[in-house]
Amino acid sequence: MEAIWLYQFRLIVIGDSTVGKSCLIRRFTEGRFAQVSDPTVGVDFFSRLVEIEPGKRIKLQIWDTAGQERFRSITRAYYRNSVGGLLLFDITNRRSFQNVHEWLEETKVHVQPYQIVFVLVGHKCDLDTQRQVTRHEAEKLAAAYGMKYIETSARDAINVEKAFTDLTRDIYELVKRGEITIQEGWEGVKSGFVPNVVHSSEEVVKSERRCLC
Amino acid sequence: MSDKDDSETPVLTEAVPILEDGNCEPAKNSESVDQNAKPESKSEPIASTRKRPEAKPSSDLETSEVLPVPVSQAPGKETVSKDVPQTGWGYWGSWGKSLLSSASATVATVGQGISTVIEKAETSLGIPSPSEVSTEQYAAGEINTKDNENSSPMAGPFGVFSTISTAVQSTGKSVISGGLDALEFIGKKTMDVIAEGDPGFKRTKGLMNRNSTLSQVLREAKEKEELRTSDEVTMETEKKTHYGLLFDEFQGLSHLEALEMLSRESEIKVKSILNSLSGEELETLKLELQQLKEAFSLAEFCEEEEEEKIGDEDFTKEITELFSQLHVSSKPEKLAKARNTAHEWIRTSLTKPFTEQEEGEKLLEAENNEQVNKNSIEDIHAFAIRSLAELTACSIELFHKTAALVLHGRKQEVTAIERSRTLSQMTVVLCKELSSLSKEFTTCLTTAGVKEKADVLNPLITAVFLEASNSASYIQDAFQLLLPVLEISLIENKTESPQHELQSQRPLSEQ
Repeated sequence: MEAIWLYQFRLIVIGDSTVGKSCLIRRFTEGRFAQVSDPTVGVDFFSRLVEIEPGKRIKLQIWDTAGQERFRSITRAYYRNSVGGLLLFDITNRRSFQNVHEWLEETKVHVQPYQIVFVLVGHKCDLDTQRQVTRHEAEKLAAAYGMKYIETSARDAINVEKAFTDLTRDIYELVKRGEITIQEGWEGVKSGFVPNVVHSSEEVVKSERRCLC
Repeated sequence: MSDKDDSETPVLTEAVPILEDGNCEPAKNSESVDQNAKPESKSEPIASTRKRPEAKPSSDLETSEVLPVPVSQAPGKETVSKDVPQTGWGYWGSWGKSLLSSASATVATVGQGISTVIEKAETSLGIPSPSEVSTEQYAAGEINTKDNENSSPMAGPFGVFSTISTAVQSTGKSVISGGLDALEFIGKKTMDVIAEGDPGFKRTKGLMNRNSTLSQVLREAKEKEELRTSDEVTMETEKKTHYGLLFDEFQGLSHLEALEMLSRESEIKVKSILNSLSGEELETLKLELQQLKEAFSLAEFCEEEEEEKIGDEDFTKEITELFSQLHVSSKPEKLAKARNTAHEWIRTSLTKPFTEQEEGEKLLEAENNEQVNKNSIEDIHAFAIRSLAELTACSIELFHKTAALVLHGRKQEVTAIERSRTLSQMTVVLCKELSSLSKEFTTCLTTAGVKEKADVLNPLITAVFLEASNSASYIQDAFQLLLPVLEISLIENKTESPQHELQSQRPLSEQ
């Protein structure tokens, strides 16, 4: 288990209930698909390392939020400390697509003064025959908000990896260019651990003592 | 866009999936582990509907290891008399004892090297012999636990260590280079306990008095450890056994933070409601809140009178039963699975003692077959720490979910007080489970490590006990975080106007 990473990003996954947020995350972090899953209570937590370039790893902390209205006050508290987000809708559920707008408004209010880099995700793309939202209109909406659009399926493992890594790469670019910076009191981006660079005081003390022997 | 990527399976999964598939159907693998591992597990099965454990003479089992009742913890508890030996923190005091005995064992071993030094030091400094010191300190610890403010039992041995090492340093370093490492190990652990504000021996009050929350404390400790371990390439093994890192890997820290957030919000709400009330209304409410508080402190007392009758099969049953009493829709499956995996592992390793396999005849299960020979005690140790971290993380996740559901779940016909009682019972069950689990792990260690030197084996045993004790403290602290949540739930149920203030505001639809 190699646990050394350059940065840690916190990502939040939002969208109406039953669009498949938890399944998408589980596919990404655990590599499998759960046929049945209970609705998320409040918020859940996952993490995974991704390698964006050879040798460059980012640790993703993924916050899975409940889509259900009744937990909204809980999930809201998590926007602020996220650097990126996946906004999901279900391509077979027009309503969930129409609500994308509301979700963006909601986050805008609660993320201040920070910003979240969002990607719009049309989920359940394996169910193409039941499609209620065309790719074209989804792309249009995404473009209007300056987001990328991607269609995924947790069941058939389509684009799941890509959705997360593309978002991670985009954020990484922004961090590299200094448009997103690590800030005290903000958990969105944290620097990681690089070997042989940091010495904690404890370590120093220890080695000194060893020298005496 | 819709091309399949075949590489969906994560290559770099950082956190091992919390649920390991396969070898752990709840309630299946649960015969008692081994006679010598758990004499107490043979006792009668527990009635799962039982709301309260019956009081039982507490003299049969580990009473000998148990400290007296801390009086300060029992304000007005008529059920507990001062001389019942096993109650309250006394129960956890036994951890202190375990730690101390291994600590003094180590001192004794180390003493082979340094006894002369110590003797010299004794005569020059006028301190008693190591064994005397440890017994005395232990006795002192017993007394000190009563006011668990700043006098943890740990303070005792720590004092001893520092005295010894000072003596040692001033007398001659070369003699004791080997021994010092062992002392350093325990000393460092002890330091961690104290420096990281570990509540294992100090308890919640001390912890919460400082302006940091439990999750902050744990997070800092973890981050410190990450810094430290990233510093040395050879640290992989140590990392595998670092409780804080593992606890985080199982998302324990995140759930703890989330729980703290809910707890804080509820606390603020409760305060503002109390401020808005006056007169009789306020008095009535205060009285009810007081009852709730009592339900929260009940756990440490009444429950302790129960001996460990929770047989292996019963843990899953009991915890499931308790959960159904809570009337929240969350289920403890994950926890039960983690726990059963640990027990299964222990059973496997005890039925096939490592010593017989040193010649490499037969490997154990797939999970621990790598180094059956020399490193087996390290394996056990690593697995023990991992299991403790996982169980604790799962427990805290359950508390977090419970809080979310109590606050935002559908309305239930169960009162806040009933829920509090159930939760405190659950806390006790969980802590006891950790206790018995750690005992079994140390049995494994002792069995596997018969040929090991004590100064190799003892620190591992100590570490297991220490982390189990820490785990229990975290769970108890997390439990206390539920109090404001239950308080606000009580108030809201009373006024019949649940504060789902958001429902009207939020335009988002819900399916």
